[in-house]
Amino acid sequence: MTAKDFLQLLQDSPLGVALGESIYMYPLVEGSHLISLVFSFGLILLTDLRLIGFFLPSVPVSDILHRLRPWLLGGFAVTFITGFLLVFVSGPNLLNNLVFPLKLLLIVLAGLNAMWFEFKFGRRVADWGVQAVAPAGVKISGWISLISWSFVVTCGRLIPYLATH
Amino acid sequence: MSTQSFFQALQNTELAISIGQSNHLYGVLAQLFHIGGLVLILAPILLVNLRLLGTGLTNQPLRLLVKSTNPLIFAGLISILFSGLFMFAPSAALYYPNPAFWLKFQLLALALLVQFTLYRKVTASENPHRTLAIITALISLTLWFGVGIAGRAIGFIAA
Repeated sequence: MTAKDFLQLLQDSPLGVALGESIYMYPLVEGSHLISLVFSFGLILLTDLRLIGFFLPSVPVSDILHRLRPWLLGGFAVTFITGFLLVFVSGPNLLNNLVFPLKLLLIVLAGLNAMWFEFKFGRRVADWGVQAVAPAGVKISGWISLISWSFVVTCGRLIPYLATH
Repeated sequence: MSTQSFFQALQNTELAISIGQSNHLYGVLAQLFHIGGLVLILAPILLVNLRLLGTGLTNQPLRLLVKSTNPLIFAGLISILFSGLFMFAPSAALYYPNPAFWLKFQLLALALLVQFTLYRKVTASENPHRTLAIITALISLTLWFGVGIAGRAIGFIAA
């Protein structure tokens, strides 16, 4: 089964058909995908800006990481679930060009970067997090996160222009 | 001049026509700047309002959060304003009958009103009254996110 066949299968599933036919569910899911972006991408953007030294330099990084985490992860949960539902509705057209696969690839990259950050630096944030200027590795990880998530959002916004229409 | 004929006149200006005839790539760029502006405005407002609700960065001074987020909000406003005008001008008359368009700007007017009165007053003191802080945050979040939701609805209603 090819990836296109798989997306066709999702679109033809009861959930895919129901979402596609519903007048209110699609705008609700799509609107939630956009609004939850403020919690997921928005709060990770503020975190990245702190890591690279542009935002709240006097605030310990541990504060930002730990106190925003429930909101940030909650935001990502909604963004991912609604995104998954949008894939059900969109079908094989998503693979008409590379913008959607590129988006997925960038999400994987951003995820790997977040894991690298967490294991290498996040676990011992108490050692370095109070400094206004973070260690070089932290800054690099912050930049990778900022750039990759920005391109994820960019690719996402391009999907209706390039892929599904 | 009625609002409707003003929108029509705006759409018929040379600038609006040339925007409308420009490469569609610019229209896509405007959409990207609009969503970028949305995040730059709403994420800082969320950060400060979480603090007012008694969660998030609760051990940081309120005024520090307000002062540090202002440049981001300002950059977001510039980005969202110009990209919005760019999208609006060439098809102004099309937006006139769209109820979501009007709801968006009514909510925006209220959001700005609250931002420069209640919100400013509450965030100016270091320890605002707890109930007042929570009410302010709920009003602010509802209005600002409402602007975003109504803005997204413009496209759904027009489609």
